[in-house]
Amino acid sequence: MLQEWRLRQGIVASLLMGIVTVVGVGFATLGEVLEVGLQAGLFWIALLFGLFPALARGFITEEETGTADLLRVGARPAAVFWGKWFFHATLYCLLSLTVVPLYALMIAPLQGDWLGWLLLWALGGFCLVSVLTLCGALVARTAVRGALLAVLTFPLLLPLLLLLIAGTKAALQAQSLWGALQGILGYALMMSAGAAWVFDRIWRDTM
Amino acid sequence: MVILTPMWELRCESLGKRFGERWVFRGLNLNLKQGTVLMVQGANGSGKTTLIRLMAGLLAPTEGHIQLLQKGQPVSDRTRWLGWCATDGALYRELTAYEHLHWWATVRGLTQLLSAIPESLLAHLERFELADWAHERVRTYSAGMRQRLRMAIATLGAPPLLLLDEPDAGLDAAGLKLIEQVLYEQRARGIVVFATNRAESEHWGDLCLAMGA
Repeated sequence: MLQEWRLRQGIVASLLMGIVTVVGVGFATLGEVLEVGLQAGLFWIALLFGLFPALARGFITEEETGTADLLRVGARPAAVFWGKWFFHATLYCLLSLTVVPLYALMIAPLQGDWLGWLLLWALGGFCLVSVLTLCGALVARTAVRGALLAVLTFPLLLPLLLLLIAGTKAALQAQSLWGALQGILGYALMMSAGAAWVFDRIWRDTM
Repeated sequence: MVILTPMWELRCESLGKRFGERWVFRGLNLNLKQGTVLMVQGANGSGKTTLIRLMAGLLAPTEGHIQLLQKGQPVSDRTRWLGWCATDGALYRELTAYEHLHWWATVRGLTQLLSAIPESLLAHLERFELADWAHERVRTYSAGMRQRLRMAIATLGAPPLLLLDEPDAGLDAAGLKLIEQVLYEQRARGIVVFATNRAESEHWGDLCLAMGA
């Protein structure tokens, strides 16, 4: 975490990506009243775009500099996974602090069920960070990294994004979002149990 | 007659590694007992690094197996008991030498060292003549200083199995003397596998394995 913080490349790239996405969409839709579904979709896409550069970098940089081997020799896989997860979660919080107010200012105000928003942000963030940390670890060990990251993350992220968008739509309209929350909660439970286990297999699977 | 079982033992049985269609080596049998320094020599690409990585658990053997034994019993996770020094890389450019050691002591759970920091870590760095650079970031280090830091990390906590992959590359005379000292100390507490290209280093070992021969 200290290394990433001092290097700042990943953090700056993430924040820039998130800001550029929101500002770009904001200018493109200036003066228009966006439909609720579109507002919800754009909200999560801005956060996802912002997360991608740093998450894809995390394990790839470790593999390229040889520090991944040092981690393999020294640390337990669960410690490595949750360490990376914690850094990515911090980044998600930083990104949210930057992107969410900008989104409210430039695209659409955040309104409706505030508790629902908060739950969606927390659970959605947990799931997004877990999926992308896991995929980053998987991809770092292969030669065709960029393409594989997209192929791997798409089927894992799509159901989560659909649930998050459905939940956000309900929160914006101050409707019950219990159905979407149930789905996201299930996804989060699966991730908290499965991601570290799957990571253990990937991390230890020596070629 | 009393038969003494050595505290630590490293066994490789019918060990072989293949990348694609090409066998790097095959049918390697080794039995290293505590107090042994094995020098692994050979030309570039002969498989020295591959052997070290197999022993470190960073690669899986294509055939055969490796076991680390403590008092005759195989240990379940040998990575807990080894120190590994890579040829290059394996350092965080934005961290200092002190931060590296502190991090390593934390992830390895070296509580004795952690309870006496910063003195314990600074003393360890002093041994490798890095104390003056303890709080400088690694990106400012020369190749030789990085090599010393890799050695410092590998030997932290006195692991019984020390795997050194060309630690003598890029070191000056003082650095080479330091390695000799590390090998001397390690003999008393465990096993060393030392891969090198330097013919002059051969005399440091008790056994010599010529790869690609």
